[in-house]
Amino acid sequence: MASPKELSGPAGNTVIGPSILINGKLSGDEDLTVRGRVEGELSLTRTLIVEPSGVVKANVSVKNAVVSGVVVGNIAATESVELTRDGRMVGDIRSPRVIIVDGASFRGRVDMGELPPGRPLPERPRTQVRPAVRAALTPARPPVLPPRPAGRAPGPAFVSSRPAESAKAPPAPPPAPPTVAAGAKKKIVVKKKR
Amino acid sequence: MANTVIGSSLIIDGEISGDEDLVIQGTVKGKISLRESLFVEGSGVVEADIETQNVEIAGRVTGNIAATDKVELKSDCRVVGDIKAPRILIADGASFKGNVDMDVKG
Amino acid sequence: MAQADQVGIIGKGIIIKGSLSGGGNLVIEGRVEGQIALKNHLTIETTGKVEADIRAEELTINGEASGNIDASSRVAINTSAKVAGDIKAPRVVIEDGAVFNGSIDMEVKLPDDI
Repeated sequence: MASPKELSGPAGNTVIGPSILINGKLSGDEDLTVRGRVEGELSLTRTLIVEPSGVVKANVSVKNAVVSGVVVGNIAATESVELTRDGRMVGDIRSPRVIIVDGASFRGRVDMGELPPGRPLPERPRTQVRPAVRAALTPARPPVLPPRPAGRAPGPAFVSSRPAESAKAPPAPPPAPPTVAAGAKKKIVVKKKR
Repeated sequence: MANTVIGSSLIIDGEISGDEDLVIQGTVKGKISLRESLFVEGSGVVEADIETQNVEIAGRVTGNIAATDKVELKSDCRVVGDIKAPRILIADGASFKGNVDMDVKG
Repeated sequence: MAQADQVGIIGKGIIIKGSLSGGGNLVIEGRVEGQIALKNHLTIETTGKVEADIRAEELTINGEASGNIDASSRVAINTSAKVAGDIKAPRVVIEDGAVFNGSIDMEVKLPDDI
């Protein structure tokens, strides 16, 4: 049998295997991959990955979440939440970036915390602000009637682009108003205290 | 075989159950019940009652341990609690406080 | 679906206040305020701004939309879009970079033991 040390990798990546059930509070500073089941409360300063066999029935606060399995509960992410084509979720999402891929199913609220449309908006600086990420993520799109995303695979593209983005290191995307970022942080602090 | 690893920065407060091997490098408080092997590594801290088939402890465990097969306390481990198992190994250098019961019935 | 071939365009300089309904596909590059009920595909282009409750078969948003959306097949909120409102559709896609605030109601098949 492989030594346990080899399994976890140097960065410390926790894996909850398919037959494992954790019921309670889970917190940490490393990536977590769920193939089994976690119920209760989950808070991480890094990325939560729920694989297709994984079930999370918990209130979640993380930096990033990638859901390919089932999540029932609310997710608050400081960076991003992605539901991949196998992802199923019921609950509310609060995150500056939310990606829902075709095939994913979702019921709940999405709060990306920006100025609601209807009010006067500044010209979108967004695409210029993150050109590297944008270019990597979205292939050129004709201006009218975008193509059906038949051959697209945003999941892996998104994952692989993450290190590049964090290397660029602006902590929050500039277009987000400070009030919202502060609110999101506050909420997580409260959760951790409990 | 799928392996579950609880990484060193992770803290779990609650119950863990399952049918596969579990490696703990982080902190687990509450209860652990497994039908396979549990490994508490050097960095692992467990404050929980443990029910499992095998346990190997190199870290710290506070709580009662019941194993259907074997309990192994490695050197440098610190264990406080009662151990119940048909086979118990305690290495030189291990520190242990508690009762040992090797007469298992059910 | 003979109508599906027709594409209507509401150009950049146009502002419509009131309700808009019909068959065929529609591309909005201008402004619409009120209500939209369309049998086929509605596209809101980057220059388009819609403040309306929308019913359509399929909806593609590259611009701004606020109001409730009810689509019988699919809603795509693309990178440049800014959307606020509640969405009801069997398929909803949100691209990275899009801004959306509101609720989404899709059918979610959960395992029995949840």
